[in-house]
Amino acid sequence: MATLSIKGVRKSFGSLEVLKNIDIELEDGGFLVLLGPSGCGKSTLLSIIAGLEPSSGGDVTIGERNVNNVHPKDRNIAMVFQSYALYPTMSVRRNIGFGLEMRKMPTPERDAAVKKAADLLQIEHLLERKPGQLSGGQRQRVAMGRAIVRDPDLFLFDEPLSNLDAKLRVEMRTEIKRLHDRLGTTIVYVTHDQIEAMTLGTKVAVMRNGVIQQFADPQIIYEQPANVFVAAFIGSPTTNFLNGTLEATNGLLSLRHGGGSLDLGGLQQDVGAFVGRPVVAGIRPETLQVAETGVSGTVEVVEPTGPDTMVILNVGGQMLTARLGSRDRPKLGQAMTLSVDARAVNLFDPDSGDRI
Amino acid sequence: MAQTRSSSKLLWDVVAYVIMIGLAIICVFPIIWTFLTSIKVDEDIVTREMVYFPTRFTFDNYVKLWFQSSYPTLVANSLIVTGLTVLICLLTGAIASYSFSRFNFPGRTQLMLGYLVVRMFPAVLMIIPLFIVMRQVGLLDSTVGLAIAYTSFLLPLFVWMLKGFFDSAPKELESAARIDGSTRIGAMLRIVVPIARNGLVATCVFVAIAAWNEYLFALMLTTSQGSRTWPVGLQLMVGEFQLPWGMLAAGGMISILPVVILFAIVQRVMVAGITAGAVKG
Repeated sequence: MATLSIKGVRKSFGSLEVLKNIDIELEDGGFLVLLGPSGCGKSTLLSIIAGLEPSSGGDVTIGERNVNNVHPKDRNIAMVFQSYALYPTMSVRRNIGFGLEMRKMPTPERDAAVKKAADLLQIEHLLERKPGQLSGGQRQRVAMGRAIVRDPDLFLFDEPLSNLDAKLRVEMRTEIKRLHDRLGTTIVYVTHDQIEAMTLGTKVAVMRNGVIQQFADPQIIYEQPANVFVAAFIGSPTTNFLNGTLEATNGLLSLRHGGGSLDLGGLQQDVGAFVGRPVVAGIRPETLQVAETGVSGTVEVVEPTGPDTMVILNVGGQMLTARLGSRDRPKLGQAMTLSVDARAVNLFDPDSGDRI
Repeated sequence: MAQTRSSSKLLWDVVAYVIMIGLAIICVFPIIWTFLTSIKVDEDIVTREMVYFPTRFTFDNYVKLWFQSSYPTLVANSLIVTGLTVLICLLTGAIASYSFSRFNFPGRTQLMLGYLVVRMFPAVLMIIPLFIVMRQVGLLDSTVGLAIAYTSFLLPLFVWMLKGFFDSAPKELESAARIDGSTRIGAMLRIVVPIARNGLVATCVFVAIAAWNEYLFALMLTTSQGSRTWPVGLQLMVGEFQLPWGMLAAGGMISILPVVILFAIVQRVMVAGITAGAVKG
């Protein structure tokens, strides 16, 4: 187990800068999720931590040791790849024990360690098979077995669940969380799936174009997104953005928008300087409820998903998605009013996109 | 409608079979003819009327060739030269093609193209410079010299072919091996080479066959019995006043044996290797 410190890390491919001044501090036993869309630089950052890719600047420290010039094999890390990267010519037993074989661990001890890891992941019956004879979920377990058998300082996961079907993905997600709770090893986990990020991470770094947009606890990221990008990226369906002008009448804040006025009493932000100026209100679909007063509009689309009903409302030309109960089934074109919990609303500066 | 389609399909099948059988005959006939000649007596070979099938079967030509000529030495020389060529290509070409496949270094594309340029010139153009170089370094008329000369035009083929096989081995496997404790070269030898094994075998067989059958370089760069290979040796059996057809045919049949055996042994591996390289990923 070890802490991870990343300071001012940059990476350029020719004139293309893919990582810009990345700063991250992760506590011992923490679970850091690097989250972002494709091409945001999260996998490159993971490769730099692993030592597979040299950085163009900055420092990576694992534990107390600066590892900038340390070979991957000497960093005492283990990595699970998106494609699992199991050695196709070797049996599962040899795949799991390969790292120990390379470190010249005697065979009896190695076999015992492989057996222990296989027990933990319930894959003892697969030890003599080749990777080609395994299903996706089994390969995933073998890849994890190969990582945990070495008892490393740091685990690196590069989108390990993205090749699995939806059901297996949920199972393996739980498995990884259980493994982290049991082993307590520091983990860096790359994903573009915000559900994985929210469920697994103790810290989440949301990335875009090589820049960390926000680095915080998952709950903070959900409740107080640093900017419009983070607000839009986290949550499904995505956050509603309602453009309007911030007004204050007798000390009470409200948002004047195309479809009327939205009461912002109870807003958690200090937005005094923006009164009278245009702002963007970020409203989570799940914070909207059918009510007598609030935001009014006409129903454009109704999408029942089973447990919920997604309703898209046209509010003065702006679309607002609400996640309502399964029994709420409004008719198309019907007028509807939704209440907004102002404590869950975030206001953003329309020019910079940052949270006010 | 259906009938028209089925009769048109039948017609195409017939045409396809006729063409393929015709091509097969063109390919196989010389081999059959050589074999038949090799087991004929001299009276059946040089005749006024064409004798297609031997009137008497004899293996005299084989016995004479093997025991009364220098043919065994020629075959041994060919084996040595072929083995050396494959070995040099394997040791240098495997590392070179791995570098081309994995590293992005300045001049990489140009170097790869440079390798191809060598193949673009006719072999005759390379012989005189090679002759001069070999003479200066004292490698003229030696099996090592000939193997190096073969390497000069077979290595590009080797590197280009093997690069395709290395390209199709996922890079993540090496990354995993490097994290697991291997060096780069260790990851190549332990992980990539076993994966590309079929390709490696296929490439080696191609090089071996090319080296085994080569004639022009061997003719120019060898002068004595000690280093001459079988294609040159066979050709030199044709004298001003003699043309031993039977022995030449027997020599031809013996010389294709190693190629046939090699193909028989590695056929499955080779086909798997070629298709694996052809379909990337």
